[in-house]
Amino acid sequence: MNPIPDEQIMAEVAKGNLDELKVLFERHHLHIYNFLLKTCGDKMLSEDLTQDVFYKVMKYRSSYKNGNFVSWIFTIARNSLNTYYRRNKEVSDGLEKVEHHLTANVNKDHEEKTQLQHALNQLDTSDRAVLVMNKFNGIKYDEMAEIMDSTPGALKTKVSRALQKLKTIYLENE
Amino acid sequence: MKTTHIVDSISEYLEGTLTKEEHTKVAQHISQCKACEQDVVDYQKLFNAFKEEPLKTPSDALEKNFLQLLEEEKQNTVKVVSLNKRAIPKNYWGNGLLKIAASIALLVTAFTAGGYFKSQETQTQLAQVEQERLQLKKTTMMSLLENQSASKRIQAVSYIEDFKSPDDAVVAALADRMLHDENTNVRLTAVDALSKFSASTLVKTAFVEALGTEKDPSVQIAIIQNLVKLQEKKAVGPMKKLLEQEDTQPFVKEEINNVLSEII
Repeated sequence: MNPIPDEQIMAEVAKGNLDELKVLFERHHLHIYNFLLKTCGDKMLSEDLTQDVFYKVMKYRSSYKNGNFVSWIFTIARNSLNTYYRRNKEVSDGLEKVEHHLTANVNKDHEEKTQLQHALNQLDTSDRAVLVMNKFNGIKYDEMAEIMDSTPGALKTKVSRALQKLKTIYLENE
Repeated sequence: MKTTHIVDSISEYLEGTLTKEEHTKVAQHISQCKACEQDVVDYQKLFNAFKEEPLKTPSDALEKNFLQLLEEEKQNTVKVVSLNKRAIPKNYWGNGLLKIAASIALLVTAFTAGGYFKSQETQTQLAQVEQERLQLKKTTMMSLLENQSASKRIQAVSYIEDFKSPDDAVVAALADRMLHDENTNVRLTAVDALSKFSASTLVKTAFVEALGTEKDPSVQIAIIQNLVKLQEKKAVGPMKKLLEQEDTQPFVKEEINNVLSEII
C-alpha cells in the first residue's frame, strides 16, 4: 500500500482538517530538525526553529498552492533560519559572531560531532546549507531552485564548489 | 580544462544522476586520469560520511509543544469558521441594502424629528412674542384711552379689534369711555367696539346703563340697535323712559317705537 503523498495530506490540512498535520509532522520533523541542526549547530535553536516551521505551516496552510510539499516546507525552514541570522546580525556584530558562537558550540560538545559535521562547520553558512540540503536531506537541484529562488544550474555549481571546499577540509582532518 | 569539467560531474557520477552517455564519458576520463580517479575515491568517502551521518533526534518537548499549538489552533479555527459563516451570509446584498435602508430611515426620522421640535419651539416663541405684543398693546390702549386728544382715544378704542377675548379690565375701560367720554365720536366708536363682545354680561349692562345716560341721538340709536340685536329685556325700561323724555329727538323716539315690538 502506497503512503498518501504529502501534497494530498497538505491539501486536506489547507481545507481545515488540522489533525492531518500530525502525519506531516511525523514524516518531516526529523529532516527539518536535522537540516537546521547541521546548518546552525545549535540544538535549542534548531528545536525552536523546527517548531516555528510547523507553526507557520499550520498558520499559513491556506497559502499552500499544491506545490511540492518538501520544497515548500524547506523554503519556510530556510527563511526562518535566515530571519534568525538577520536578527542576530542586527543585535550582534554579524555573521562572524554567529560563526564564532558556532565554533564555541562545536568545541563544547566535541564528542557528539562527527568528522563530517566538524568539516561542515568550517564552511560558511550558505555553503553549509546547500550541502546539508542536497547531500544529507537528499533534495534535488530543481527542488532546491524552488527553495532558494534560484536556477538548478546555479545551484549545481554552488553545491559542486562547496563540495570541493568540504572535501579539502575533510581530508585534511582525516 | 577537461579535469575541471570532470570534477563538476563527479558528484553526479557517483550519485548516478548522469545520462548514460555522460556517465560513459566520465568513466572513460577517470580511467585515463589519475588525479580524477583519486578525486572519485575522495568524494566517495565524503558521500559515505554523509550517508553515515546520524539523524539526530530532538527532545520530546518539540512534539509536545507542536501538538499543543495544533490543539489551540483547532479551537481558534472553530471560532473563525463560525464567524466566517456569519460574516458572509447568502443574502449578502440584501443585508447590505437593509443596512443602507435602515440608515436612511434613521436619517430621515432624525431630520423630521429635529424639524418638528424646532418648529414647536418656534411656535412657542411666536406665541410668546404675540402675547407680549398684546400685553403691550393693552398697556398702550389703556394709557391712550386717558389721552386728551379725542382722535388718540378713538385709536385706542379701535385697538380692541386685535383682542380675540379681551379681559374684563379692557371691557370695563371701554364701557367707561362709552359712558363718560366727552367726545361723541369716541363714545360711538366704543359702542361699535363693544358690540363685538356683546355676549359678555358686562357689555350688556354697560349698554343698558349708557342708554339711560346718553344724550347724543346718533349714539343712542347705535346703542338701541345693538340692544335689539341682543334681545336684551332690561333695555325696555330705559327705552320707554327715553320715549317719555321731552329732549329726546323725534327720530330716536321713532326708532324706539319700531324696535320695542321686536324685543317683546
